[in-house]
Amino acid sequence: MRKMLKVFSVCLVAVMLSAMLSGCGNMMSTGYDLYIFNGKGESAQALKDAAEAYSRETGKKVKTFSLGSGTSSIDTLRAEMNSKNMPTIFSIVNIQELKEWEEGGFVMDLTTAPDGAFKQLADEIPENMRLTSNGTNSYGIPYNVEGYGYIVDTRMVDALFGNGASQTFVTDAKNATYAEFVSLVTAVDSYIKSGTVATVTLGGKPYTFQSAKTDLSSKLTGVFAVAGSEKWTYGDHLVNVALNAVFDNPADAAAATDGQISALKGPLRAYARVLDMKTSYAAGRDGKVSRGADFINTTTANYDSAVQIFAESKALFIKQGNWAYTNIQKFNGEIVKTLEFIPVKLPLEDGDVVSDVKTADKLNRSISVYVPNYYAINAKATDEQKQAAMDFLVWLNTSESGQKFVTEDMAFVPYNADHTNIITDNSLSNSIIRYMKEGDVLSNPYGGAPVGWSGDTLGLEIMEKYLTKSEWTADDYNAIADYGIAKWKEMK
Amino acid sequence: MSIPALILFFAVIVLPFITGVIYSFTSWRGTYFAGGEGVLDSFVGFDNYINAFKNEKFLNAFGYTIKFTVVAVVAINIVALGLAMMITSLKRGGGIFRTIFFLPNLLGGLALGFIWQFIFQNVFSEVLFGANGLIHIPFLTNMLQDNTKALFALVILVTWQMAGYMMIIYITGLNNIPQDLYEAAQIDGASSFQQFRVITIPMLMPAITIVFFLTLANCFKLLDQNIALTDGNFNTRLLATQILRTTRDTAPPDYGLAQAQAVIFFVLIAAVTLIQLSLTKRREVELH
Repeated sequence: MRKMLKVFSVCLVAVMLSAMLSGCGNMMSTGYDLYIFNGKGESAQALKDAAEAYSRETGKKVKTFSLGSGTSSIDTLRAEMNSKNMPTIFSIVNIQELKEWEEGGFVMDLTTAPDGAFKQLADEIPENMRLTSNGTNSYGIPYNVEGYGYIVDTRMVDALFGNGASQTFVTDAKNATYAEFVSLVTAVDSYIKSGTVATVTLGGKPYTFQSAKTDLSSKLTGVFAVAGSEKWTYGDHLVNVALNAVFDNPADAAAATDGQISALKGPLRAYARVLDMKTSYAAGRDGKVSRGADFINTTTANYDSAVQIFAESKALFIKQGNWAYTNIQKFNGEIVKTLEFIPVKLPLEDGDVVSDVKTADKLNRSISVYVPNYYAINAKATDEQKQAAMDFLVWLNTSESGQKFVTEDMAFVPYNADHTNIITDNSLSNSIIRYMKEGDVLSNPYGGAPVGWSGDTLGLEIMEKYLTKSEWTADDYNAIADYGIAKWKEMK
Repeated sequence: MSIPALILFFAVIVLPFITGVIYSFTSWRGTYFAGGEGVLDSFVGFDNYINAFKNEKFLNAFGYTIKFTVVAVVAINIVALGLAMMITSLKRGGGIFRTIFFLPNLLGGLALGFIWQFIFQNVFSEVLFGANGLIHIPFLTNMLQDNTKALFALVILVTWQMAGYMMIIYITGLNNIPQDLYEAAQIDGASSFQQFRVITIPMLMPAITIVFFLTLANCFKLLDQNIALTDGNFNTRLLATQILRTTRDTAPPDYGLAQAQAVIFFVLIAAVTLIQLSLTKRREVELH
């Protein structure tokens, strides 16, 4: 028995030592030409399929690695970067995440790429979509673009205002002022409560409620579906709209001066007012819900519950992005066909907007559209590996077969497509494309705010102190704005 | 015979530990050393330690962890000892109860945390203690939305989870106390409280030493349950959560700072448990 134990322990040590040694030793043959580390779990299968198709076309072997969707893969990526077999292509979410790869020398500046198809691809990335730390360098090829705003079901619009109303409603709501939008919200609220027939004006045009509720409109319990426990919905995304009043892109926000941060006072106050309005007319499972302890309950006021409330036609609007498409579809396969985006409006005055390229009016008719993820090339890879990476990215983003994977299998809105002739099966993608065509899009400056500022600091403060509070006053709006400004300056 | 074990211990415990301590004096960023090529170039002395003690979140977590540990250790020990005395006094069915009380210990922390999150948010806040519930006890509603209440929510969770295991140790200790001591005391007219104080507690000291050590160390190190219940919201980060989140609070991720916090954490746990061991050991009585 003792002898067996001895043999066993020696074997164990031998196995461990050999594992350690092989981990350190250099593996001459890796069995692939290109290793892609993909940070977006949702597109794992599609990217794998694309890589296989690429292999069939070119004979190059591509290895892809993705974690499950919704999981942060950054720690895994760091571990891979410490190993001998580093990925050649990896993903970067925003310029906050770029910092470590830039400082560590892991990421290749695409403006230094050799002339050719790849250089052209990199040069053609629209200015506002670049992953850049100083405005001139460029570190990533966009995965795609995503956008968010108030999602509305056009069938519900018809149910409220009569058949055909939805044909002009989306445009009129887009052009409506904040005051018009608020009167729409309050009118819908009293229509739900007591069937009060009113006429509201949107973009100068009158809309009158139907005197009798239909099957669909009688399902409404509130105006907005709100996920009170999800800090990112109001911390990151809603606040981003306000940040656009001062910053034009993430790099701008990352280089913010104290003066610019102070200029956020007006926009952040407007943000607080919108959040107050939104959370005062929230829809619940069986009726209107109000702010309080239940409002931030993580088991009932989370993303899935909010999506479900909207998908079951209990709310007129939900502030979400096109990524919610499949989640909405899960609850209601019909509703996804008739969805549209409407801009999130803020009660801004032109004095609040200090950006050179935007006006309050422009902000209120635009939706946020931005790049959620970039493909970056590992600067520490060999020239041969880099070339393989560039070839693959060119194929994925310009060839017909590559683009098919992007638009169909990954269900992405391509960042570089000719938007005039793209029609997808996805109503929300189409809506984003329309906004892009009209040029009414905002950037994502929150990605350049100090790390943790938007969601984990401002969002957290709002969740802890305000979403549980029934009445908000002008003092609260000021306090929210001041807190955001003070924290930004402190965390910078 | 012991050489393989020593090699293993050295490779998987000692080496990483030393590396970790060295990294806590550098500006390690997870994949590279900031400010230089290697470890030596990025040596920053005690900066990480100074920054850790300047970090408001770290200090908060420090205080909260100590408060939580004190309350939890007391609660677990009272409940575990109470259960143990109850079960040893049972004539029949002790085995079944022992199994039932031990069961929660077999569940993983994260899964357990999410189950309890549901219990606190829905069962406690609505069904049992809500305004329209069975009995309205405001303190037991929405326990995860307040710094103090969340501490007690966490105590309830870990007591439920750990008390069964500690109970087993106490049962063994109780069974080792000779019955004649109690009989002699009864003849002398000692009340049951007096018997508990002068016989049970001193005779139980070896078990108390172990249980205190285990509960102290486990409560200090608590991570999963903290993340699952509140995820650190409402200033409820415990030290382990704080260390884990440090790399997410900073860009580029400050692994050096996180590592310094981990070393402080280690020193703290080592000091507290060693002091506790020597204090309780001194009170153990030997039977001759």
